[in-house]
Amino acid sequence: MVTEKEIEHVSKLMKIDVDDHTEYVDKVQKMINYFDILDSAGVESEEISMPEISLESLRKDEHVAFDDKLIEKLNHYKGTYVRAPKMSS
Amino acid sequence: MNLKISALDFVQQVQNGDISAEDFVAETIQRIQKIDDDLHAFLSVNDDAINQAKSIDKKIKSGEKVGACFGMPISIKDNMCIKNSKTTCASKMLENFVAPYDATVISKLKQQDAIFIGKVNMDEFAMGLTTEFSAYGPSKNPWNPEYVPGGSSGGSAVSVSAFECVASLGSDTGGSVRNPASFCSVVGYKPTYGLISRYGLISYANSIEQIGPLTRTVKDTAFMLNMIAGLDSNDNTTIDNKNEDYLSGIDSGIEGKKIGIITEMIGDGIDSTVLSATKDAISKLEGLGATCEEVSLDMVKYSVAAYYTITATEAGSNLARYDNLRYGYEFPVEGYEFNSYISKARQKFGPEVTRRMIIGGFVPSAGHAGKYFLKAMKVKSKLIKEINEAFKKFDLLIAPTVPVLPFKLGEKINDPVSLFLIDINTVTANLTGKPAISVPFAISNGLPIGMQLFANSNEDKLLLQAACALESTVKLPEVPI
Repeated sequence: MVTEKEIEHVSKLMKIDVDDHTEYVDKVQKMINYFDILDSAGVESEEISMPEISLESLRKDEHVAFDDKLIEKLNHYKGTYVRAPKMSS
Repeated sequence: MNLKISALDFVQQVQNGDISAEDFVAETIQRIQKIDDDLHAFLSVNDDAINQAKSIDKKIKSGEKVGACFGMPISIKDNMCIKNSKTTCASKMLENFVAPYDATVISKLKQQDAIFIGKVNMDEFAMGLTTEFSAYGPSKNPWNPEYVPGGSSGGSAVSVSAFECVASLGSDTGGSVRNPASFCSVVGYKPTYGLISRYGLISYANSIEQIGPLTRTVKDTAFMLNMIAGLDSNDNTTIDNKNEDYLSGIDSGIEGKKIGIITEMIGDGIDSTVLSATKDAISKLEGLGATCEEVSLDMVKYSVAAYYTITATEAGSNLARYDNLRYGYEFPVEGYEFNSYISKARQKFGPEVTRRMIIGGFVPSAGHAGKYFLKAMKVKSKLIKEINEAFKKFDLLIAPTVPVLPFKLGEKINDPVSLFLIDINTVTANLTGKPAISVPFAISNGLPIGMQLFANSNEDKLLLQAACALESTVKLPEVPI
């Protein structure tokens, strides 16, 4: 059983700030509790298979120029930098 | 002007000079203006569509080479980038985001003289299966506007079903093309993973999602696939389909094919009318010369939990980019500390996205990853083994697309777990990378039922042939709108 405290902790780490906390916690709790069904799948000894792409198949890691001035489309672009809020001291 | 024609008929009629692209597009826009207030399929309509159609007509008249679409109006789910067009993902977070480039599917369709008639509604960031989680309000099912159209590509399915376009592109992460296709009685296709480039598709769960067409007929799907499938240097997960022609031989039939009926997808919780339609489909396929036999995929029981665990994890990572600093909505940074600014900005995420972000942080975290994320990945691996084993014996697999009929708007929105279970028959194709298609098969009490066929990876052509055969066995009523 996932606790309310654990969910609140993760929300903070994910930089999620919700007004109606109880409503979110309750639904997230229900959803995560449903995942407990995975415990009955009997897959403990199963190996995780991952698709592999060889290095030769990847495109070259090289700069491709973009035809527009993309940087000017940024939200808080100030001529030479993107304005961000102050970091806490 | 008959707006109810298929994509292939549209192309032929424009090519023959029976209709003009301009007239067709103009009437399509009139129809959108007339009925879309009630259905809410569209989030934005292309103001320049008629001019674009005019220039295609000019090209035809002057004998210039014209692309295969001949000005066909296509709607696009609002999570695919069209250069200089708003791409909102049905989120307030991206309310004013204008895409600076074209998705690969868009570039390919532009080269074929398609006209993007508008961007269509979806669940916010494609998270949902009813379109009720759109920040701009739900779409309605054209078969009965009190019912959900399915999702997350609900706007795509509604726009095709209600003749507001000829075809649409959606994206399918756990059934998001096939589910609304089933609920709105159109064809919905999830290709083999990698067959269609995801470049320019706003990411949700990269390892399993695919763009797919929604059309009125299976042949139209093959036609769309011919234009958008294949290798893309901008998406390393794409596969070389050797320029396969999915239309040629599509009428080959299914005589002699072996079809497995997935028992876990017709068991507990299935609506009796859906079960009866499934039995009818099986008997029709047998009538066409296929042999059908039950097959068990034990991991299907755990597939929905595995799917939500994996997708939430990937979404948690993908959505971390939405900090409102580089792009997003108008919200000044002055007076905020860095972390509190981002938390505050993210209040623009809707409830479902917020919930999945939290889950996406929780299930792969230290202390919990072993119980959730790693087990989900193991279920996925075992499911792949099971389905590969099934395809050693069978050419195709069958199950209803959704185990229940469309339900009323608001009926399940507050019960996330009951919504989860609507996905039980669709997530397998995503978790295993296999192609799957939903074919309109029956109407029960005025509500559509879709039948789903699966094939082995890279057997998309065979799958479309089988779907075409199944489609030929039914004649369904027209949507009552």
